[in-house]
Amino acid sequence: MKTLHKMLTAAAVAACFGTPAAWATDLTVGFTLDANTLDPANHRKRETETIIRNMYDGILTRDANMKVVPQIAESMVQVSPTVYDFKIRKGIKFHDGSDLTADDVKFTIDRITEDGGMGNGQTSPRQSLMGPVAGTEVIDGDTVRITLKEPWPILPAMLPFEEVVSKAWIEKVGNEGAATSENGTGPFKLAEWRKGDAIIMDRFDEYYGGSTEIPPVGKACVDRVIFKIIPESASRVAALLAGDVDIINELPPFSVKQVENNPDTVVMKVNGTRSFFIAMNMQGKYFADHRVREAAAHAIDKQLIIDKILGGNAAPIEGILSPDAFAASTDLHKYSYDPELSKKLLAEAGYPDGIDITMDVEGAFKDTAEATASLLSKAGFHTKVVVGEGAQLSEKWRTKGGEKTGDMYFTSWGNGSLDPFDIFTPTHKTNDRGNSAGYSNPEVDKLLDEAAVEVDTVKRAGMYHQAEVIVNKDLPYIYLWVPADLYGVSKRLKGWKPSADSRINLHDACIE
Amino acid sequence: MSLSKLLERIAQLVPVLLGVSVIAFTMMALTPGDPVQIMIGDQAITAEQEAQLRHDMGLDRPMVERFFIFLGNTTHFDFGESFYHKRPVADVIAERLPATIELSLVALVVALATAIPLGVLAAIKKNSIFDRIATVGSLLGVSLPGFWFGILLLMLFAVHLHLLPVSGRIGFDSEVPSVTGFLLIDTLVAGNMKAFGDAVAHLILPAITLGLPMTAILMRVTRTSMLEVLRQDYVTFADAKGLSRRRVLFRHALKNALIPTVSVAAIETGSLLGGNMIVETVYGWPGLGRLVVESIFLRNYPLVQAAVLFYAVTYVLLNFVADLLYTVLNPRVKL
Repeated sequence: MKTLHKMLTAAAVAACFGTPAAWATDLTVGFTLDANTLDPANHRKRETETIIRNMYDGILTRDANMKVVPQIAESMVQVSPTVYDFKIRKGIKFHDGSDLTADDVKFTIDRITEDGGMGNGQTSPRQSLMGPVAGTEVIDGDTVRITLKEPWPILPAMLPFEEVVSKAWIEKVGNEGAATSENGTGPFKLAEWRKGDAIIMDRFDEYYGGSTEIPPVGKACVDRVIFKIIPESASRVAALLAGDVDIINELPPFSVKQVENNPDTVVMKVNGTRSFFIAMNMQGKYFADHRVREAAAHAIDKQLIIDKILGGNAAPIEGILSPDAFAASTDLHKYSYDPELSKKLLAEAGYPDGIDITMDVEGAFKDTAEATASLLSKAGFHTKVVVGEGAQLSEKWRTKGGEKTGDMYFTSWGNGSLDPFDIFTPTHKTNDRGNSAGYSNPEVDKLLDEAAVEVDTVKRAGMYHQAEVIVNKDLPYIYLWVPADLYGVSKRLKGWKPSADSRINLHDACIE
Repeated sequence: MSLSKLLERIAQLVPVLLGVSVIAFTMMALTPGDPVQIMIGDQAITAEQEAQLRHDMGLDRPMVERFFIFLGNTTHFDFGESFYHKRPVADVIAERLPATIELSLVALVVALATAIPLGVLAAIKKNSIFDRIATVGSLLGVSLPGFWFGILLLMLFAVHLHLLPVSGRIGFDSEVPSVTGFLLIDTLVAGNMKAFGDAVAHLILPAITLGLPMTAILMRVTRTSMLEVLRQDYVTFADAKGLSRRRVLFRHALKNALIPTVSVAAIETGSLLGGNMIVETVYGWPGLGRLVVESIFLRNYPLVQAAVLFYAVTYVLLNFVADLLYTVLNPRVKL
């Protein structure tokens, strides 16, 4: 069928002297957000990292099963609880043709971790993601040593989030140049950045092959990849169905059937890393009483909501950790759905006629919150859902120990590292920045602090388990589920599968 | 218009911009939501690291001090650095502006080209079936939500009929050197007619979606205005003189009937420039509206403040243009 689009362009082809660029294989990703910057050290956005990660490689990376493996490093040795050595591979080239050296790796770490490391007195916004780094040095020519101020066992889990830059190139182009151009060692190099519209990358033919532990090792399969920015989910789905893109992220659960029913597309999913939960204001009138919190926990039929609203695409949780996270407990007490028990507990707490409460939620999760509120209401919690804007609600609830108003807060917390340090501590430690329930238990605080610096993984897992058991009993939150990350994918695409850390690595992806 | 009048109008801009600056700054500063917390996201961080980040973003200074820094810098067109893009705000806005202006102008052309003939016809054929259909159509045009209508068009013309592209400004194989940032012009300057056609194809659906409410409003204004003019004595006189109907309508009536249409169109153009967010989001159009909305959610103060100032200047200028056009079309009116 001759399309209007084709006709419009064909009408002018006669006047066009150049031949159109012939791309053997293009792979287009319909993606939610544009990169804020291309400088790996100057952002804190997961979407930006996903894009950058196809042009820049890291010292370490993760395989599809979230196992941390060496990438630019040949090997990693933990010399002591505070010292890590990384032997850097030889023969790796930056996109400008220069060789990567251990000095580049040291420069990369220093730029992120040192106060004022970005130059002009500016500190990298990613500094806190690298924990208590005391310093970096090059030893033996090709080994980089990272020394920590105190033990921080999650360093290997956090390093895949950082990408290596060229010292000479950064010194030449400065932060401004690094924001809009790139010189990485990744499988693709920047061809064009149409800001707000698309990032176009060409295959880097001198690529060293990537991690030896993630086959196939070698150059990228496709000639060109394009991250096309389509923020609206319905439009992303339309682009996939129309064949304009090969992968879309954040496929809404209500579009799953539409994509499955289309003969050219499939749905792919992977366990996500974002835990959803309801914070109960423990400083408030009702939820200071454990019986009321327990009653609320028994009022919610998680599986029903997962099945009916989330299309079965979520895993129920009894604690804050995702089932895939390090040290996630599998034996926690389950607060089964029992509205009669809820009513009984409420009556025991002095509320035989139930209580009137509000539940704050962001607009994006209004449907799920309303379903939850409906179940709560049936059990005596007459719940009114109040939709607010994310930043506003965050300020209202994450008060770091300050006064808190409101009854319930339907919210979530992401955990890309899949380490409890990044989710358990901020949401449960007394007065920490994500502690929206206002929970405080010195025993839990102590366990979380000790686990954060414990290098023995078995002991560390034990500490988190102990903390999970206590919290499961104290019940500051109703832990709900971890939704799967859903992707719509063209059947033309081979060799790619989604990753739990939301990265879209296109090195191995092929188009048939 | 005399030079003194022109200077007077320009001078009036100063207090307006000062007022807008105060409002833009205080509204962002007083809106709940901490830019530092939003930037940190779901991560653990020490108090010292958080304080460092706040310092680097300039948010550790008192609000009054920040306001005067903002005001002082604005006088020499320095709007600061975007918290997220880590580049000057003026650069970030300048990158997105051509896309928004291009889409707005094409939507304006679509609206004018559709609304004026339809409005005139509806007036001439008052109370006819055509008039009723046009009136109902205009009501629908104003009422249909842009995001719904946009997605409807997209599903029909892009997904089912494969007639038009889903999103973006131009295909990826079209390489056009950026001269003005306006793709319709740049493709023509480059003599690349294939790319020009591609850019036009990408513009059709967003321009229709964006222009629809304006078409509806302008059609109704034109119809009403035309009906009023047709009742005037001079039109009856022109008819009595025996002038042809066509000459009466288009030479005598339409010129006067268009005065309110032009005024409304000029002011509505301001709304187009500011109200692109939904259309830009639906069609993945890389314009300013989307950028501003994203920035509001992220509490990207410098960018939002600069954008609000830009919108204010645009509105003031377009109102000024509307006034000027009014005097051209109706010489009895003096500024």
